[in-house]
Amino acid sequence: MMGTDCGCEKARNDLEEYLRNEICQTEHSDIKEHLATCESCRDEALVSRTLTDVVARACKETAPEELKNLVIARIRSAQATH
Amino acid sequence: MTATILAPVRARPTPMGTQAAVLDWRVMDDELGLADTDDLFTDATPIGGAVESGAPVAARDQFEEQALPFMDQLYGAAMRMTRNPSDAADLVQETFVKAFASWASFTQGTNLKAWLYRILTNTYINTYRKKQREPYQGTIDELEDWQLGGAESTTATSSRSAEAEAIDHMPASVVKDALQSIPDDFRMAVYLADVEGFAYQEIADIMKTPIGTVMSRLHRGRRLLRDLLKDYAAERGIAAASKTAAPGRRGDGSTGK
Repeated sequence: MMGTDCGCEKARNDLEEYLRNEICQTEHSDIKEHLATCESCRDEALVSRTLTDVVARACKETAPEELKNLVIARIRSAQATH
Repeated sequence: MTATILAPVRARPTPMGTQAAVLDWRVMDDELGLADTDDLFTDATPIGGAVESGAPVAARDQFEEQALPFMDQLYGAAMRMTRNPSDAADLVQETFVKAFASWASFTQGTNLKAWLYRILTNTYINTYRKKQREPYQGTIDELEDWQLGGAESTTATSSRSAEAEAIDHMPASVVKDALQSIPDDFRMAVYLADVEGFAYQEIADIMKTPIGTVMSRLHRGRRLLRDLLKDYAAERGIAAASKTAAPGRRGDGSTGK
């Protein structure tokens, strides 16, 4: 835990929200300012962003071709019954 | 998980510029919220005003053109939810069948991807999760961090960039395994945010939970994930430092992708 009053604690608490653009404008610029001067929080932000990238990369899937055909077939047959 | 949970979210007009992202769940929930699986087909309810209004092929074409391109993404989510290809395929199939049956209730111009994810999540919760319910399901949000095995990171500042690098080189299979091992609701929150890039409000709508719960699940899920990856890296001796120390090839190729 960053127990200091240098802005680290606030930045760490809201870092994820900051990175996802889920915080208000004022808070956004506060954190942005802090990150510009604090290497440790910048590294923390890097870990956070990297984690997101890696998860997104790892989870890329392509649906099997047969599933695509099956879905289309079911949609068309569903309609035929009405 | 009933439609009542959602009502307050839906009833409130959104003050911010998120109109486009707001989903019209009301109609869909009436149809799908309480439905276990495919009652939709036996129901006489609006299986598509569009379908019966003399333009069946047009409605179908429109659905195929707009909704089917999301299949890879939905399949990816279904894989993470069900954890196996055969259940994932069934889940995706069911999702599209339901979505098509409710197509008339989808408002053009609103967020189709979120609408489809909502059906997917709903279907998963109502059917698959009943079968494979994890013992702690339902109480997971109340557990303390120490009970989950997660803890506030005590990593020294100097090694954070090394941690980022180790994470960056993590094989996809390891990341997926780690994701599979965290609690269901945490995993879904992480998936919806990190893979699909949904906003908190959209995730709240999809998972039918308050935004605060979404944030908590996301933070805790990511913390667990990060700790798991860190443990993996430590076990394999993957660290930025080990690279300079070992000019030779790593036999297990564990830093590759």
